[in-house]
Amino acid sequence: MSPDRLNVTFAALADPTRRAILARLASGKASVTELAEPFEMSLPAVSKHLKVLERAGLIARGREAQRRPSRLDAAPLKDAADWLEDYRRFWEESFDRLNDYLRELQMKGKRHGRKK
Amino acid sequence: MAARSSAGSKSASRTLVITRVLDAPPSLVFKAWTDPKHAARWWGPKGFTTTYCKLDVRPGGKWRICMRSPQGKDYWAQGVYREIVEPERLIFTWAWEKPKGRPGRETLVRVNFAELGEKTKLTFRHGVFETVKDRNSHRSGWSQSLDRLAEYIAKG
Repeated sequence: MSPDRLNVTFAALADPTRRAILARLASGKASVTELAEPFEMSLPAVSKHLKVLERAGLIARGREAQRRPSRLDAAPLKDAADWLEDYRRFWEESFDRLNDYLRELQMKGKRHGRKK
Repeated sequence: MAARSSAGSKSASRTLVITRVLDAPPSLVFKAWTDPKHAARWWGPKGFTTTYCKLDVRPGGKWRICMRSPQGKDYWAQGVYREIVEPERLIFTWAWEKPKGRPGRETLVRVNFAELGEKTKLTFRHGVFETVKDRNSHRSGWSQSLDRLAEYIAKG
């Protein structure tokens, strides 16, 4: 996953209303009207949040004319978590090599007199 | 086998933390991080080779490295040194390069080298969303996002 895509994912998640919308969608599909209910917010305002979530690939919206129910797409969320995990692997393997190399250096040092 | 442990990567915290005990004193470990000749020998995952390594180790100095995968793909990374305390501590920024050598999102790497007899305890932190520049404005936003993230994934 590209850093740009991750930025979009995290930017979409940085808003409390959008996180609440995602939490609601985690329990099933919902229309704009249904999603707007818990918030003191106009339908256009909710629609705007849905557009941001849709652009980030976090939700998909149905084509059914008026209702257009939204549903959660968890893939980008998982990618964001995997990103950290990738770094962990990167460094753990680097440190394995670092330790091997340090041992090698010291063996040489002992054979040829300690290097400064 | 050196002792190893890691934490923080799965808990969706914003910083990756890894600690390791390395079989060499801090002076040598520090050199392995800061001398390009040495750094090129270990930087990158297993099977990777370093084809370019420039480290201007002073505050504000730049570093740039290219790691070639076993499949022959090149990965460039770069950053700027923020703090250097030989042989105890290194702080530098990290960014994978995008096409045309432009740096991608900046992250912060903090490495501590503590003496442990003839060995060194390495404490490594890679802050995903905690850059020097953006730390204050983004800290709570990112951290909350990641907390939420963990919940959503658990549900999914």
